[in-house]
Order: sequence, then C-alpha cells, then structure tokens
Amino acid sequence: MTAPSAGTVEMTIRFPYKRSLGPVIGAFMTGLAGQQILGIRNGSEVMCPPLEWDPKTGKELDHGALVEVGPAGTVVSWTWVPKPSAQHPLDKPFALALIRLDGADTALTHAVDAGSIDAMSTGMRVAPRWKAERQGHITDIEAFVPGEDPQGLDDSRPEEPVTMMPYNAEIPYTLPIAVNTARNAVALKEKRLIGLRCPVCSRTYAGERGFCPIDTTALTAEHEVQLPQTGTLTNYTIITPVQYPGQTETEPFARCMILVDDSDLVIGYQPVIDLPVEQVRVGVRVKLVWGDGDIEGWQPTGEPDVDDPDLVNRIY
Amino acid sequence: MASDDIAIIGWAVSPMERRTAKSEQQMLFEVVTDAVDHAGITRADVDFTVAGSCDYVAGQAFSFVQNIDAVGAWPPKRDSHVEMDGAWALYETWVRLLSGDIDIALATGSGRSSTADPALIYPMEMDPFYLAPLGADAMSFSALQARALLDAGKVTERQMAEIALRSRASATSNPHAQVSGAFDVDAALQTDYVRAPLRKHDLPPITDGAACVVIARADKAREICENPVWIKGFAHYSELHNPGMRDLLTSPSTTLAAKAAGIEEAPVDFAEVQAAFSHEEVILREALGLGQDTPVNRSGGPLAANPVMATGLVRIAETARQIREGQGRRGVAHSTSGPCLQQNLVCVLEGDAR
Ligand SMILES: [Zn+2]
Repeated sequence: MTAPSAGTVEMTIRFPYKRSLGPVIGAFMTGLAGQQILGIRNGSEVMCPPLEWDPKTGKELDHGALVEVGPAGTVVSWTWVPKPSAQHPLDKPFALALIRLDGADTALTHAVDAGSIDAMSTGMRVAPRWKAERQGHITDIEAFVPGEDPQGLDDSRPEEPVTMMPYNAEIPYTLPIAVNTARNAVALKEKRLIGLRCPVCSRTYAGERGFCPIDTTALTAEHEVQLPQTGTLTNYTIITPVQYPGQTETEPFARCMILVDDSDLVIGYQPVIDLPVEQVRVGVRVKLVWGDGDIEGWQPTGEPDVDDPDLVNRIY
Repeated sequence: MASDDIAIIGWAVSPMERRTAKSEQQMLFEVVTDAVDHAGITRADVDFTVAGSCDYVAGQAFSFVQNIDAVGAWPPKRDSHVEMDGAWALYETWVRLLSGDIDIALATGSGRSSTADPALIYPMEMDPFYLAPLGADAMSFSALQARALLDAGKVTERQMAEIALRSRASATSNPHAQVSGAFDVDAALQTDYVRAPLRKHDLPPITDGAACVVIARADKAREICENPVWIKGFAHYSELHNPGMRDLLTSPSTTLAAKAAGIEEAPVDFAEVQAAFSHEEVILREALGLGQDTPVNRSGGPLAANPVMATGLVRIAETARQIREGQGRRGVAHSTSGPCLQQNLVCVLEGDAR
C-alpha cells in the first residue's frame, strides 16, 4: 500500500465549559438577566462590554463604577451571515455587528435580526430583543432589532447575582486514518498481532506507530513483523472508576503493560481476563484473547511467574 | 556580521492542499527532513526545536506531543511548543539562540485546516464571555474590519478584488500555491458576498500544510552555509483582544513590532505579509510604512495558500527564498494572530551585501 492514508474517520468533540465570571463580567451578566446593559467607567470613557482592567494601561478599574448604557445603540460596522452555524445565536440569516450603545465609547458585538441584508447600514439604530428565559448570558439578548425600542421587556429580575456561565460548543472533525493504523486494524480483525521493526535500530513498535522516535525513521509495511501472542505482565495500575461521560466501568479494574515474547515491544494499558484485581502482579505470564476485531485482553497461561527484578521497569 | 548574529540557513514548505491525506505528523516529518537537508545538516545537529500548532485545528488534545516523533527528539533534545503560528515558534528559537550556548535550532508550523469547519473552530479563540458564545469567527470579524475600511474610504471593494487578483496572478509561479491564476475583477464583483463585504476572492483558501525553518548562530551559519539569510530584527506586539474596543482602521502593534525589528534602518525591497483577507494588505502596508511600489506577497501570500499555524512561518521562508534567489537584499516578513490583526510579528531579513 503506497497511499499515505486509508480514508477518514469522523468524530465530534464537545467543549462543555463552566466559567466563573468575576466581579465585573458577573455584574454585566447579572444585569442582562434583569434586562439592564452595564458598562464600566474608564477615565472619561465608558466601556461596554465592561472589563476589569483598562486595556490600554492594565490599570485596575473601579469595579463599582458600573453605569447603565443603551438599551439602544448605533451600528458602527456589520457583516451579513447568510448561513448561520450551529454556534450562532439565530438560525436564520442575520447580521453580526459592532454596536456602540448609547452612553458607551466602545462597541458590543452582537447579532442584528434585520430580516434582510438590505435593511442593514452603518449608522443604523438598533435596540435589544430580550429572551423571556434569561440566565445571565450574552445571549439573554436574543438579537438586536432595527429601531429605538427594546422588545420583550418584562418584570423578571434575578434573585441571586450571576457568578458562573455555561459554554457549550461542539466541533465535528474529519481526520485522516494513517496507513499503519488501517493495516493494523486489518491485522487485528484477522487475529494477527503485528509490530513494526525499525530498519535502523531494530526496535519493535506497535503496528500502528508511524515513526521510530529514536532515529526518526518512517515505519512502513515493509517493516511489519508477526509477533507471538504471548507475553509477560511488567507493570500495572488499578483504576477506581469515577463517573464521567463515556465511562462504562463501575468496579475497580486493572490496566497492564505487556512485554510481548520474542520482542522488545511493550503494549500499554491492556485489560486482563480471568485475573482478579487483587491477583494482578508483575511477572504473570499471559496470552492474548481476541474480541470482535480487536484485543479483548490478556489471560494468564498458568505458567510460573517470571522472576526478574528489572521487569517492572518495562513500561515502554 | 557579529558573532551574536543569527541567520536562516535552511527551510522547507510542504505542498499546499485543500485536504491532504497525510497526518500532521507525516507533513512535519517531511518538512523537517527537507529543511535540515536544505540547511546541509542532520536532525542530530539541531540543539533546540519549537513547534507551532493548534489542538483545536488538529481536533486532538496535546496533538503536538506525538508530533515530536516526526520532528526528532533523540537523544533527548530541548523542545518547546507554542499554540501560535510557527512564526512565533521561530521567534522563540531566535531568542533562545541569543543566549549563546547552543548554535542551531529549528521551528515548525503545521495545521490541517480541513479537519473541521473554520466557522466552528475559530470562535474557540475568541473572548469566552462576550464573543465565543455568539459563534463569532475570524472571517466574520475580518468582514467587520473590511466594512470599517470601506466606510472610512481607505479601500474600495474593487481595490480589494484587485489585491486578490494581483496575489493570485503572481502565485502562478509559486509551486506551493493552492489557488492561483488571474480572474475577471468585474465578474468577481458581481458574485454574492460570503460575509458582506467579503466575497469569495477576498478570502483565503482552506489549506493543509506545514513549514520548517532552520536557524544558526553566525559562526556556525558561516561554517555550514554559503549564503545565510540574516535575521536583522525580530519582534512582536499584541493589542487588546476585543475588536469592538479597537480602532480597526490601523494596526499599531504591527507598527511597534516593525520599529522594534528595525524596519526603518534601511529601505525594504519587498514584503511577505500574512494578509489572509484582501483588505488586510491595505492596513499592513500602511502600518509597515511600505509604499505602493514595494512588492508585497509575490508568492501570492495567504490568498494563495493559508495553512493556518504555518502561514506566518511560510512568509518568513518565502522572504528568505526571495533574498537568496536575488529578488531583493532586504525583505520583511509579517505574521498575525487573533481577530482583526490583534497580534503582529515582524521579521526583517537581509542577505549578504553583494
Ligand atoms: Zn529506530
């Protein structure tokens, strides 16, 4: 196989963050929850959105010097988003704009729901359209709308100051599958354990590794070797599972390093089978047990343990 | 040259592709191999390596750790990483060589921008309270800056198209260009906006690519290289992040970096600037003090190939190449990071007097 890749794999990474807001941004977000937009005094100017520091000098601002601005303002620049992304606040075409709110000297970035690009112009007046359900978040303003009058005003005010905010984003990625990864997957499906022997230093690596890190040599199909499916447990850890998204284990379990016979290859973080957690130990002789297209784990062979004080050092 | 001077002695730029089948590790392996070969050394001669890359682009946490296998770190080597364009990685190697105890270093920049939709990746670099939750991405902010320039009369949409035309026409002679060739400006101005006032021709392509630059202290550079390209000055400055709090018509951090890099000490023959959006060239020309007769981006610039995380390092490699090939004796390379040219780096390069 000479192609550098064997197709692609798609996956989505989620970024579910919780952020603490601090005294100034927290006050701003609390203001939004109560349909109030706050700026902060910085000398003779008012910054909205507010920061804790003067961005020009780094000097700490008086965090109590918050002043209400807007609610209406003037568009100082804008662009049109014809196809909104999943991260955008609106699911129909809208303008993203820099809006200088009345009483502020800097511009707030936000969406303008103008209906059409033809309704947008620099210098136009806009006012916020408030969400009914507000949590102290920049999107408590659903969008700005053309005109002077805020929309969605109500009497709801937050009972507690807002100190934290959620941030959720997800990005779908399309990544190339390296040739060695694909070839290794085929071997595993065929219940073959393969390694790659470096032509320079003769060290053996796991079948999907791309390069010998010792002498920076590319490892390819011609360096493939068939490995025995037996080995020795050299080191291990017992993991007590804590629950996080994707964790399926509920009881403590072992992850072991296995030195494959007739090679210097150590395969890391392997599960063991028929070997209770309290019996896991350095030196156990094991054989590979195949699952569906992959290694299921390593099972004791019943041979006597290997007694070698250096074995424990073989973690790679 | 004084013994404290530092020179570029080799470089390599990968093919620039919309979607490469190679992993970032494979791209790096090739450019490092080619760059040390170009410098006339081996990986073993390199005392310090710095990589510039981005996990959000790679789609993998700590992606730079496995990249070290391809760069080469045995016997154990001084190594560093910046979550910045490779131009900043090169800056770190340069600062490190100034210490005087090691002689040769290399910097890489690499990225596979094809991994995901830029509109979803780039909000991650924005202010997490006020900007990222709005899905505000780099292209949208660039459009806001372009509008500010248009409203101020500092550029027209036609001039923006002409910058793109000039860049892509001159990219036809660049083997590393991804998008090249002349186009009809009148027809292009009739096309729909992607992010008004930006049309497709105002935008950089989505590019997978990598670059590597090797530098050495003067004595070593003279010893192994016939025509080193000297780093005369190197500096970077940052402005505040939020574009709504800045004057979008100028780039004071570019001007500060250029002054610190000594751009005013002698006339500049040409420049390679990281103007990924056509209108940015107008701001950068002014900030760098370049006249209209100074050639900018003869390589085509980022409008011809934009391997994010390597685009700036490619500007430096391109500047070195043009000097070595005699297209000028003194050139300036520029790189940028953050929305609306937030942070800017300037590197002034010179060939030996002929
Ligand atoms: Zn080797």
